[in-house]
Amino acid sequence: MIAKNTSVIKIYNTLLVTVPADPDDNTITELQEHVLESMEKCVAKGVILDISMVETLDSFFARTITETIQMVAVMGGDTVIAGMRPSVAITAIQLGLNLGNVRTALNVELALDMVADFRPGGQK
Amino acid sequence: MMTGRDACEVSIDSENEMISVRKVIRNVATEMGFGVTDVTRIVTAASELTRNIFLYASSGTMIWRTCEVNGNTGIELIFEDHGPGIADIEEAMQAGFTTGGGLGLGLPGTKRLMDDMEIKSQKGEGTVITIRKYLRRC
Ligand SMILES: Nc1ncnc2c1ncn2[C@@H]1O[C@H](COP(=O)(O)OP(=O)(O)OP(=O)(O)O)[C@@H](O)[C@H]1O
Ligand SMILES: [Mg+2]
Repeated sequence: MIAKNTSVIKIYNTLLVTVPADPDDNTITELQEHVLESMEKCVAKGVILDISMVETLDSFFARTITETIQMVAVMGGDTVIAGMRPSVAITAIQLGLNLGNVRTALNVELALDMVADFRPGGQK
Repeated sequence: MMTGRDACEVSIDSENEMISVRKVIRNVATEMGFGVTDVTRIVTAASELTRNIFLYASSGTMIWRTCEVNGNTGIELIFEDHGPGIADIEEAMQAGFTTGGGLGLGLPGTKRLMDDMEIKSQKGEGTVITIRKYLRRC
């Protein structure tokens, strides 16, 4: 089951996951499962997590995102976090979240460019 | 449950209250005139302390109110529970210390996000954590 407001669509071989504005812990956990299931079902090569609507990124959310990225990696996929708001970025770093080795992009369009590089054949 | 115009109490007894606490605090802080980054800091801190309550104490309350300290107007949030208490506060404040399989960032991170943070805890009695953020400082 997936909570409303969460959308997962496939663009070429990439999953575009739009995270809702204020997800509760269940929504975040469901989102993780949904992403991994979609990876398999859609034979996706990469995941873009669009968090441009997210206003609060706390330690639980961050931990689940980091975990999801690792799980996607184990399944052979790359993840890019797109659209983190400036206020969320400032807060996340001050909270002490280590997002150092997470691939990020300013917005979905740029994230798509990044993921597109990984496509077999490398065509954009 | 309203206890006045400039104060309000929210009971925390399940994960579902995370959303209401975050909404209430976001609205109050925005109305008080905090900028978007400070609002995000305050809401994130509230999110951490609320989660700690239902994770470690299973239930408790959050009270918010406006405060005035040394001529600075601010928002004060008090998180109170009657859970197991924190045995060693200094240890709990260290980044990475966790008994719940977390990142151990909630308490030390909250201290960095806010202007003031006070922890009172008695083993077996419960925990009261007060945090403040002032409008003047940034
Ligand atoms: N209200 C509380 N009652 C009892 N113990 C608490 C309470 N809040 C925190 N603690 C203790 O302090 C430790 C540190 O809390 P902190 O929020 O910093 O990290 P965490 O909850 O373990 O992980 P994170 O918040 O990063 O997900 C907790 O693991 C727990 O042992
Ligand atoms: Mg915590």
